[in-house]
Amino acid sequence: MSELDDIEGLAAEYVLGTLTREERQVVADRRVTDKALDLAIEAWERRLAPLIETISPVTPSPNLYDKLRAQIEPYQHVVSLKAREQLLARRAARWRNAFVGATAIAASLVGVLGYRETVGRDEARQYVAVLDSGDDLPAFLLTVDTGTNMCVITAVNPPAQSAKTYQVWMVSDDMPKPKSLGLVNKPGEMQAMPVQSRSEMDLLMNASFAVSVEPMGGSPTGAPSGPVMFTGKLVQATP
Amino acid sequence: MPPRDTKLEHLLAGVADGDEAAFAELYQATSSKLLGVAVRILRSREVAEEVLQEAFFKVWERASDYNAGIASPMTWMATIVRNRALDEARRRVVRPTGDESELENIASGDEHPIAALERSEDVERLLGCLDGLEPEKKEIVRLAYLDGLSREALAARFGRPEGTIKTWLHRSLAQLKGCLER
Repeated sequence: MSELDDIEGLAAEYVLGTLTREERQVVADRRVTDKALDLAIEAWERRLAPLIETISPVTPSPNLYDKLRAQIEPYQHVVSLKAREQLLARRAARWRNAFVGATAIAASLVGVLGYRETVGRDEARQYVAVLDSGDDLPAFLLTVDTGTNMCVITAVNPPAQSAKTYQVWMVSDDMPKPKSLGLVNKPGEMQAMPVQSRSEMDLLMNASFAVSVEPMGGSPTGAPSGPVMFTGKLVQATP
Repeated sequence: MPPRDTKLEHLLAGVADGDEAAFAELYQATSSKLLGVAVRILRSREVAEEVLQEAFFKVWERASDYNAGIASPMTWMATIVRNRALDEARRRVVRPTGDESELENIASGDEHPIAALERSEDVERLLGCLDGLEPEKKEIVRLAYLDGLSREALAARFGRPEGTIKTWLHRSLAQLKGCLER
């Protein structure tokens, strides 16, 4: 081959840096949907990257890291939803291969939420339930912190429902019927509630959690009336 | 693939989990090299530092996208810096306005002789393959990749039409690819 075909040529010149501003934009947009182009670009990045080693380093101004730190600071507490989803997916996939069962997955997920930043670092106080149907990405997470007495339900990646709502339930042998913990639907939506008493905490710890699909506004009967899509139990979170 | 840089991989995994200490360490380990990359393309320390800051912020946000199976951490980060620097260079079109004397000091363009002794195997292989190109074509590839010269700028520099430069580039890159695959 003496010349590069279309995709190869485009990928090579994109990585080399010789395209115009407009051409660069076209390639950057196209690679999102054009897998062959994307792979060709990655291959050229690998081929040419060793040249980077021949470049003389330049020490940045001492205050540059401070500027960066100020920029990332807010993210320490509010992890962007997209990043969180990606983390969950990555972690879940990684742990699913290493361990069997939801316990390990659940345990690995806690660090991900940045939850420890808001509730302190005593991991033994934290419990998490992964509510899913066995897919990589959990549909909902329910986290309980026995130090701050907070229970938080997060919709991570539930399948979209049209004209229906998800309702989260606590189910326990010690209760006559399931108790509604609220309606949570859109990815990223959270609901936090204080745990009022020691007995309520004990109840939570030993309960099962279920998510059912209900009419808008929640179940008309006060108990799950639609299909239960996801279930889970709390496990202690150790990173 | 070059030997894996497990230290940087580990730091990137920490950054993906929002670990600021890992981010600081990653910055310490790579920022000088990456600023070197940006300065070469942008020919201004000031603009290069802005680009470096944006690139590191992107690393912070996107560390969870990093895939060790696709690229080394350095390749991944350098790609972010280069893309950002090239976009900026193209946006600004003409650059050399800043203090060129400072530039000559901070980026002479030549590798330090000590660094040359420590080149890794894959660098040697790429440089070997580049040496297989005709001198003028080798220079074009280097000027494009390291200094961010566009086809247009290369055409002006070598006194050739852009179409010729494009043909040369495609032939040179095909030859390079063939050599690297051998």
